[in-house]
Amino acid sequence: MQINRTGIGLIGLFGLLGLALCIGPALLGADLETSLIVASTGAIFVLVAAGLAWYARHTGAKAAHQDWIFQNGIKGSATILEVGNSHTTVNEMPLMKLKLELDVPGVGRSQVTRREVMPVFTANRMDAGLVLPAYANPKDAADFVLVW
Amino acid sequence: MGDPDATYAAFAAARGLEPVPALGLGALTPLLVESKHCQVEPAARGRLNGEVDGVVGHLAYTRNRTFRFNVALVEVPGSTALAPRLFCIRRGRGTRDDEFYGFEARHSKLWTESTALNDRYTISTSPFQDPNWMRQLFSPALVDYLATVPPADFSFELAYGALLGSVEDDDPGADGLGALCEATAHVATRIARECGE
Repeated sequence: MQINRTGIGLIGLFGLLGLALCIGPALLGADLETSLIVASTGAIFVLVAAGLAWYARHTGAKAAHQDWIFQNGIKGSATILEVGNSHTTVNEMPLMKLKLELDVPGVGRSQVTRREVMPVFTANRMDAGLVLPAYANPKDAADFVLVW
Repeated sequence: MGDPDATYAAFAAARGLEPVPALGLGALTPLLVESKHCQVEPAARGRLNGEVDGVVGHLAYTRNRTFRFNVALVEVPGSTALAPRLFCIRRGRGTRDDEFYGFEARHSKLWTESTALNDRYTISTSPFQDPNWMRQLFSPALVDYLATVPPADFSFELAYGALLGSVEDDDPGADGLGALCEATAHVATRIARECGE
């Protein structure tokens, strides 16, 4: 997952609106009770913005780590053994549960499970027997990138 | 808008294609997923151009407002291993007007040296795409072709061997459908050749 323009806009909107609600009433001379009520709403907005920003940062760090594995990892393959749909969707994308046989040269074969949020057109292609490229962290083969 | 049935009937007759009232294509590419029903109506199938077989059809769906595309779907069988996802989308193309999300599946914007290409399209791939292979695919000839030859509203999506070319014109007429088929077939042939090498 990665943040897009809409996500950046949402963070900006919630953050700025939240800050305005937090400090606006006091600056405009509203009474204490009104200021606190409006500020508490603003605080919720700021928390939402902070949560989205944290998630964006988290996905960015994860992407950077995956890029590092892709650049420096050991290229292997992952054969899909089982495909399970969790019936959970994230932004219209299904969360897929894949049971894989991971084959990394020099490390060997192992069975692992991986949960991935995928676009529908990708999820539809996931089927038992499909072989996907995989890149394993040279320091920890259990840490791998599945290329789909 | 014009009459798609008449346009497709005339186009199928002129090109020797088999006319089909409606055809379900499946959720093969992002645009088809957007439509939810993934059905083209009317449609025609057969030899689209050169040696390339496929389906051409009218795709209409409503996501707050009605979107209309004319699409050509062909297979590029050997492409999945080398380029699982490649999207070359006309800048500013819209495919929905209802839900907008702040997070999406990860992809990489493809770098190209062509200003003309970048002015016209947004090109993206899987983040784990081999960039050298992609540079070979986007040869100067292909870049020049994409920047100058296809209809102005042409886009294409390659996803796991399915290549969907599209134009946004409501009623492109037989000539417009011909241009769509030619552009899609050209891209398919180019990708297949690069995969073969």
